[in-house]
Amino acid sequence: MTQVAEPTAAAAEEPPQLPPPSRGYRLLRAAGWTLVWLGGLTLGFVAHQLWITSWFAKANQAELAVELEQRFAAVEIVEVPYEPPEVPGETVPPAPSIAQGATEAPRFLKAESAPEEGSAFAEIRIPSLESLREGWTVVEGVSLSILKNGAGHMPWTPLPGQPGNSVISGHRTTYGQPFHDLDLLEPGDTIEVETALGVHVYSVKEVIVVKPHDVWVTHPRPGAWLTLTTCNPKFSARERLVVAAELVAGPNASVILGRA
Amino acid sequence: MEIAKRIYGYLPGSTPIKVATSIVLIAMALVALHFFYEWVGSTFLDTGGTVG
Repeated sequence: MTQVAEPTAAAAEEPPQLPPPSRGYRLLRAAGWTLVWLGGLTLGFVAHQLWITSWFAKANQAELAVELEQRFAAVEIVEVPYEPPEVPGETVPPAPSIAQGATEAPRFLKAESAPEEGSAFAEIRIPSLESLREGWTVVEGVSLSILKNGAGHMPWTPLPGQPGNSVISGHRTTYGQPFHDLDLLEPGDTIEVETALGVHVYSVKEVIVVKPHDVWVTHPRPGAWLTLTTCNPKFSARERLVVAAELVAGPNASVILGRA
Repeated sequence: MEIAKRIYGYLPGSTPIKVATSIVLIAMALVALHFFYEWVGSTFLDTGGTVG
């Protein structure tokens, strides 16, 4: 009798056997875990884009600010004859020195040696925008790796303060988002770009939205212009927000504007 | 977590070697994820605003 009773007691202590999970249950569980992982990856992506890229950009900016000071101290500044920019489809106006009479002495622009690609050469400030009030160092070049620093100058356009159309591109929502609030600019707002020559002051003339392949916004213009480009709308690369501003003051303004 | 435990179980060597291998694998995965995020972000979200 004792031998029969012992296995019965042992069986009572064992947990009840659950039936194996059905195929539907297993599929549902796999789908649930997949969604959890996708959600985690998406949250990681958002955090990466908003904070990690900005952390990298601001760390780079600190180094670039030092590099910029060194350039300002070391760059060679020369004087070059003023030649109006050639604008396709428009009659080139004569140089002011010629227009005002041959007896007048030819006028000269201050020019700095071209920066190397990837090096800091200017600081852009927009007093009316909080994100750009303190200034943002601009580097030469607009490749993806260079723009991780925040803002870059198109090398095939003139440097700020020179005749023609100087183009600077920058991130809108990532890498420190230097051009986050460009849409808030209005005609008449000022943009300051400091180079080794001094501070060039531009006045905003228009804020427009174009397609990404509308390269005409980078074409030369009469006088001296600064064009800022960034992605539009925010968190999308579908369009470009373009700010066009004209030089109104600075080391070369009097020569370019014919007030010398 | 079950998958992570299973992968950890497959790692060769003693416990310290398994821990070290895990840390290296996690670091490699994070670096790969960083570059993947960078590519997605600079392709679809914010290209830097250049035209052309």
